[in-house]
Amino acid sequence: MDSDEDDRIPLSQRPEWSDVTPVPQDDGPNPVVPISYSKEFAETMGYVRAVYLADERSHRALQLTAEAIHFNAGNYTVWQFRRLILEALNADLHDELEFVEHLASKNSKNYQLWHHRRWVAEKLGTEAAGRELEFTKKIFVNDAKNYHAWSHRQWVLQTLGGWEDELAYCDELLEDDIFNNSAWNQVSYAVKAILTKPENESSWRYLRGLYKNSMPSFVMDRRVSTVCLTVLTTKANCVFALSLLLDLLSNGFEPNQELKNAVEALLPESRDQDSDMAVTICSVLEIVDPMRVNYWRWRKKSLHSEVEEGVRNLRVH
Amino acid sequence: MSDDGDLPWRFSADQGLEDQLFDRDRHIRYLEMNYHLLPSPYEGQEIIRLTLAYFTISGLHILDALDRVDREAVINWVLSLQAHPKNEAELNNGQFYGFHGSRSSQFKSLDNGVSVPNNSHLASTYCALAILKTVGYDFSLIDFSSILKSMKNLQQPDGSFMPIHTGAETDLRFVYCAAVISSLLDDWSGMDKEKAKNYILSCQSYDGGFGLIPGQESHGGATYCAVASLRLMGLIEDDLVSRCTSSSIIDVPLLLDWCLQRQADDGGFQGRPNKISDTCYAFWVGGVLRILGANNFIDEITLRKFLLTCQSEYGGFSKFPGQLPDPYHSYYGFTAFSMLQETGLNSFNVELGISTVTL
Repeated sequence: MDSDEDDRIPLSQRPEWSDVTPVPQDDGPNPVVPISYSKEFAETMGYVRAVYLADERSHRALQLTAEAIHFNAGNYTVWQFRRLILEALNADLHDELEFVEHLASKNSKNYQLWHHRRWVAEKLGTEAAGRELEFTKKIFVNDAKNYHAWSHRQWVLQTLGGWEDELAYCDELLEDDIFNNSAWNQVSYAVKAILTKPENESSWRYLRGLYKNSMPSFVMDRRVSTVCLTVLTTKANCVFALSLLLDLLSNGFEPNQELKNAVEALLPESRDQDSDMAVTICSVLEIVDPMRVNYWRWRKKSLHSEVEEGVRNLRVH
Repeated sequence: MSDDGDLPWRFSADQGLEDQLFDRDRHIRYLEMNYHLLPSPYEGQEIIRLTLAYFTISGLHILDALDRVDREAVINWVLSLQAHPKNEAELNNGQFYGFHGSRSSQFKSLDNGVSVPNNSHLASTYCALAILKTVGYDFSLIDFSSILKSMKNLQQPDGSFMPIHTGAETDLRFVYCAAVISSLLDDWSGMDKEKAKNYILSCQSYDGGFGLIPGQESHGGATYCAVASLRLMGLIEDDLVSRCTSSSIIDVPLLLDWCLQRQADDGGFQGRPNKISDTCYAFWVGGVLRILGANNFIDEITLRKFLLTCQSEYGGFSKFPGQLPDPYHSYYGFTAFSMLQETGLNSFNVELGISTVTL
């Protein structure tokens, strides 16, 4: 913004503002954490105070809010006043989308900006859905994990439309029967992702999450233990495979010999092996995930109560 | 000097990172500097000046240097930011009467007949009360009932909270603010706890963490807001991990596992899987683990090492190693070190977000 600062004409020198007296800030006698405001900032806020107190909802006030927002994009008072002005002027909100998009490149994690964007989109209604999804995609180009953009996307699909039918369908399927065709695809998708990058925690959590409401399916679906076995035998990063296997065992899963061998191979000292596979797994995890050694030791100690709980859950179903 | 590598105060000719210490004196100077004057780039955060004050004053308290603060000046300035309804009618007009974050949202109306709505904010209100509590202000001296009465206006049908009555995003952050305000004022009449609880539970994700809104990805900060709120409301017990009973309104084992996996190879904490470690998550996620009673499952040695790589030569902490410090990451760096029981630091109440050590 440095070049803009050089071009900026002080408000006191702009003829269209000659009738307004700026209102200075009154910080009181002993302010705490005072900020050393630049003269440009102080002047802008002085004029903002003047128009706000006069409740002036004009074009020049609209322009002034843009200047204030550039100084402090988090100023929710100015954003809110801007919305009042836009309504009063019956402004073309498509221009407003442009304004937000321009700001977003440097303020993509600003809550007020995203709230404003949502307000505008909601006013424009369902016709805005496509553009909003495109907008989030643009953000993802530079920041694929932008939390605000994902929330906005979710909101667009839920509120402006596009996904209700599909979502309801998926929900229904997963609730009824995890072995249903599309759910089947979900598990395959997760397994493929795991095998591509076994060190990626996200795919493991996603797979586990698919069985959230169906514990028996979790235990009985052979694809779960199979993916664990595959990862263990390829000696790839096995922390998550072991953790998932531990989860299975706690829920009453009966391992076959192949699995037992694969786990024991990770603990070459047979004296460290235990007839209880879950105990052995914890011992391995203490070694391969040393950062969380205390946690795995605690898990080992808690095993009995875990298994009782898991088997109880199975019986209920 | 003995050559015992275990001693943390061993000096060597080239002070490698392993020998780096928590530089309490330098941090105090950094906070004192901020307390007296923040440089002009901070005008970009003008609207949350009260929050910056909270980071500074509470930070000094944690570092056991609160004597650097002019208690009377702080109290007067903070109280001057409170919004007051003129009468009973105003109190019931649907607005929230809390504290403003700065003069930028606080307007003295001119005598021109134009009524100016107050822009006091839930998060600023928390910061104000936290600061007043920190400097030992006697809460019985002032009637805070208007805060609680009007806070109800901010709660949404789904149990979440909006931070300001003129309209804003609603999410777990403000549920936390409402809960901690109620806790500090020791009065829960300003919120419907049952509705808030249901909203919080609807934010727990399939992987055990909490998203900021229902259906959103688990996030360290959101998870803190959820768990701290439930604890403050008395809806989950202390030290859940040691209790053998599995009955809890949240999925504790899954939450525990998710939180522990947030400690990355470099020892720092990340906010979400596959993101880089950031100083502040040592508090957000570390704090959750402390509430659950699982802080001994954290690798404290490597966490300390990571945090010290974010310690600035100017005092304070930065978000990532080698960057410039800022008040937010500095504050959460201090809280993390307090939880690590660093010598010379006051103990810290994780759910309240302040040190409750009395002066």
